[in-house]
Amino acid sequence: MNNERLKTIMLGLVIVVGIACAALLVHWTDTLRPPVDPNVVDESLYLNGKMARRISLGFNGLAADWYWMRSLQYVGKKLINEPGDIQLDNLSQLNMKLLAPLLDTATTLDPEFIEPYEYGAVVLPAVDVQQAIQLTQKGIAANPNVWRLYHDLGYIYWRQGDYQKAGETYGRGARVPGAPPWMEAMKAKMAADGGSRATAREIYTRMYEQSSDEKVKDMAHRRLLQLDSLDQRDGLRKLFAAYQSRTGKCPNSWKELEPIFRSLRVPMDASGAPLDPSGAPYVLRAGACEVELDQTSKIPFK
Amino acid sequence: MDTTAAITRSTRLTETRHGRIWRITAIARNAFREAVRDRVLYNLVLFVLLLTAASIFIGELSAGQERRVIVDLGLSAMLLFGMFIAIFVGVGLVYKEIERRTIYAVFSKPVGRGEFLVGKYLGLCLTLLVNVLVMAVGVSLALLYVSRGWDSLIPAIWPAVLLIYMELMLLTAVALLFSSFSSPALSALLTFLVFIIGHFSADLKILATSLGSTSARWLFTGLYYLLPNLANYSFITPAAHGHTPAPGFVFASALYALVYITVILAAATLIFSRRNFK
Repeated sequence: MNNERLKTIMLGLVIVVGIACAALLVHWTDTLRPPVDPNVVDESLYLNGKMARRISLGFNGLAADWYWMRSLQYVGKKLINEPGDIQLDNLSQLNMKLLAPLLDTATTLDPEFIEPYEYGAVVLPAVDVQQAIQLTQKGIAANPNVWRLYHDLGYIYWRQGDYQKAGETYGRGARVPGAPPWMEAMKAKMAADGGSRATAREIYTRMYEQSSDEKVKDMAHRRLLQLDSLDQRDGLRKLFAAYQSRTGKCPNSWKELEPIFRSLRVPMDASGAPLDPSGAPYVLRAGACEVELDQTSKIPFK
Repeated sequence: MDTTAAITRSTRLTETRHGRIWRITAIARNAFREAVRDRVLYNLVLFVLLLTAASIFIGELSAGQERRVIVDLGLSAMLLFGMFIAIFVGVGLVYKEIERRTIYAVFSKPVGRGEFLVGKYLGLCLTLLVNVLVMAVGVSLALLYVSRGWDSLIPAIWPAVLLIYMELMLLTAVALLFSSFSSPALSALLTFLVFIIGHFSADLKILATSLGSTSARWLFTGLYYLLPNLANYSFITPAAHGHTPAPGFVFASALYALVYITVILAAATLIFSRRNFK
């Protein structure tokens, strides 16, 4: 082996071993690094939307995408760190003070970017309802012909229990050219029966149909399952009442009601427990004539 | 083949056809060949990798907004890579010839200094055109991939691509102007500053109207009209929404670019003609 070849091999070895050592050192320093201070993670943004737009040098669309993806990562990271199943529209227990500024910056950089407004309308009300309203109103001001944003604002008011404002917003949205006929129907529903399950079902069905965000779709789907489950639980309570009037006691196990479930063709598991819309068995509170969701159920508890 | 050899060949043609265009074309062709030889177009590999990665991974990160992100990312990269080529290759166009002393051989032939500058300029513009076209095709293919078929954004990006190319042509002219009297490092810095200020032109106008002093108002109004208004060529974000500029707007922008480039090249020729290479 000549000197030149030996030199090449040695240098190659130094590179390979050096990279391996560097990777190991990075791994080691990761374990030594102190946990991140949550106050530092949620440090306020250095740039507001207007300033970011000014210095974006024509790359404002790309910067808006960046802030949008940061918003998603921000929520995603908080959800991952939180144990348990949390619904996207019920994140009040997570400290998400940066979400509104991030979405606001994304939409200031690109006011026609509709998805951050829609995402904000779903997620922000649980964090800060005023910021959610402001963001959606900003979206409507920038895109007055996008009827979906009126639907989003109406949804925020509906969640607040402000059915009058929700109805007015749906009415305004219904006048936008190209708005679907159900927007006008929603206006009437809000005025007549704002707090009913039928209205909730209508809102979540439309949200599921219209949203392009899979997370929002999933949330709307689970809310629809929850509404189905609430109806089912009401039905089961009626069965308990009939059973109680017949036997003078509440059922102690599902087995006692199995023949009725069979005749009604209610889906059941092996133990005879009826299944909720997500496929998990309902839990019977023995002797209390009450039914609850199982811990394994995919249906939101709240 | 270096510039001198190309000129020698074209001079023979010139003698027969008396065409200034032939000389400029020869220089332009050579500048393009030189850029290709200098591996300038290698940036396309990086661009393709960027777009491929974006097409595969962005969908998960952007919650279904991959089409929009691909257009934003693709056209922004096109502008950014093009800007770097325009600046760093543009400032070296003249300097390299002086440094290698090949400029003496070029000017020993019947070639005007203006012809030399215009030829060099067109050569780099041709390089940028190839670059921009390949990138635009790349963005279109990425859109086809993520949409699993035809995408309505594909026709919308091409007017934005045209505007980006006009901006790069303007920037190349500015780089050439600075390089005609300054060192490459300083020329690159000055061109980059023009790129930044060019995108702040709307702020210059606002500043001019909001200032109290008349002289300051005149200064900023003057700067607003004097510096290239590059904000006119920013159509990336609307393109990502599927909007296309009005033909009148594109025509006005093209006319502005043509006039501005003519002025800059005339100024560069004026400076370069007075330059002593001894």
